Amino acid sequence: MIFQELPEQLQDFLRVLEYWDHILVGLTKTLWLYVWALLIGFFLGLLFSILRQYGGRILSRIATGYIELMRGTPLLVQLFLFYFLPFSLNALLEAQGLPFIPIGRWRFYVSTTIFNRTLTVVLLDHATLIGILTLGLNSAAYQAEYFRGAITSIGTGQLEAAQSLGMSRRAGIFHVVLPQALRRVIPAWSNEAAYLPKYTLVVFYIGVSELFAKAHYIISEIFLTLATYTIIALIFLVLITIISKLLDFIYKRTAIPGL
Amino acid sequence: MEIKYEPVLRVVDLWKSYEDLEVLKGVSFDLAEREVKVIFGPSGSGKSTLLRCINMLSPPDKGEVYLSGQNLIAPSVNINAIRARIGMVFQHFNLFAHLKAIDNVSLGLRRVKGLPKEEARVKALETLERVKMAKWADHYPAQLSGGQQQRVGIARALAMEPDVILFDEPTSALDPELIGEVLQVMLDIAKAGTTMVVVTHEMGFARAVASEMIFLDSGIILERGTPEHMLTSPKSGRVKFFLKQIDILYGRHEELIKLPDEDENK
Repeated sequence: MIFQELPEQLQDFLRVLEYWDHILVGLTKTLWLYVWALLIGFFLGLLFSILRQYGGRILSRIATGYIELMRGTPLLVQLFLFYFLPFSLNALLEAQGLPFIPIGRWRFYVSTTIFNRTLTVVLLDHATLIGILTLGLNSAAYQAEYFRGAITSIGTGQLEAAQSLGMSRRAGIFHVVLPQALRRVIPAWSNEAAYLPKYTLVVFYIGVSELFAKAHYIISEIFLTLATYTIIALIFLVLITIISKLLDFIYKRTAIPGL
Repeated sequence: MEIKYEPVLRVVDLWKSYEDLEVLKGVSFDLAEREVKVIFGPSGSGKSTLLRCINMLSPPDKGEVYLSGQNLIAPSVNINAIRARIGMVFQHFNLFAHLKAIDNVSLGLRRVKGLPKEEARVKALETLERVKMAKWADHYPAQLSGGQQQRVGIARALAMEPDVILFDEPTSALDPELIGEVLQVMLDIAKAGTTMVVVTHEMGFARAVASEMIFLDSGIILERGTPEHMLTSPKSGRVKFFLKQIDILYGRHEELIKLPDEDENK
């Protein structure tokens, strides 16, 4: 057998890779969490940055308050708060004799069979939903500040020029400020895009089976800690390298000639 | 027989302050159709603020602005619709950096006037032709010189066919060699009958096309009159001193020539 002649460490890696179906399911779940959190964070962050910058006294303070609250508290604490909130609400509702929220009684999943192994990814259940929302709401605060930095750097002159043509402030923001701010933000924003996949790990603590949870499962089966975590680390490294390169490519492709 | 005319622009007793600083202290003037009014005066005298109050980018604290008889201060006024009829050319051009020259000009036509894409393009190109920039239509602002950018800025305002165009020191951010091409375009459109309010220290331009010059100092109109009067026999000592400073700057005044002579005679 070739396997017996291989160095011991390599054999460890191969043993971990025998759990490729778990790793694949975990990676899919991690990507699923990441994409939704990034998208929610993007649109909400953009909205908050616009409100903070242009929203007038009240809206601007609300946006600032939200950003500071989310950036000022630990992500894990936010996750637990959001996770347990429905349970606490249920206790209240039950005491009133009202119908309660059906936590844990629903799930959406996809299932497929590859090489005789059944791969099941839970797309949405209570924990996954809370995970996506928490990561998205948290990321929105950080993304908002990146966007605000880019918006501020455009300056007021172009918006005034748009207004002097008869465009409303809103049209000016939409057609003049944002197209430039969204280009300019990419290098700074790529920080958030590269951080977020790694932050998705925290949802392990509320029982979402993403990559990190799968690593724990594999270790509990075969006790190969070093090999398992090394493989997980390498998967993240490849993933984030691809994200960085992609953003770099988009940045160069959308660059304004002459600038 | 008295000829009654409605001024295109009527500014009545404008006051504006920024916090404790009073910038405008009761400025009034009328502007007839096809008229070119030049406003000049020292730094901080309120020239730019006056223009910004006229199109409400900085709403005045007190006073009135009428555009063809319509009061812009009235609460019922849709200021966006009004601004489409008041062009503005900025000291630092303020071109839309992400748009080609032609799209800078056509953006307002499409988004404000609602012209279809092709029609806006044709019109934008025609207007760029008027400022001799048609050749550069597909260039981005960062690929153009300051003078070229400012000509696109003028085309952007001109394309909207406004009732009046406000020029806020259009040449003062330019290298000396580039001022000429911008002034030439401004002369051309002035002679073609464009109604203009121009804040500038280019006295040659004022002499050529201004119907009236207004000297603004510390937020009030210190003196006003024809270019002939203002440039040759102003009453106010402040205006005389100011014009002398400009002459020295442009090397036309003998004081500047005298200095090296004295040095040589030492």
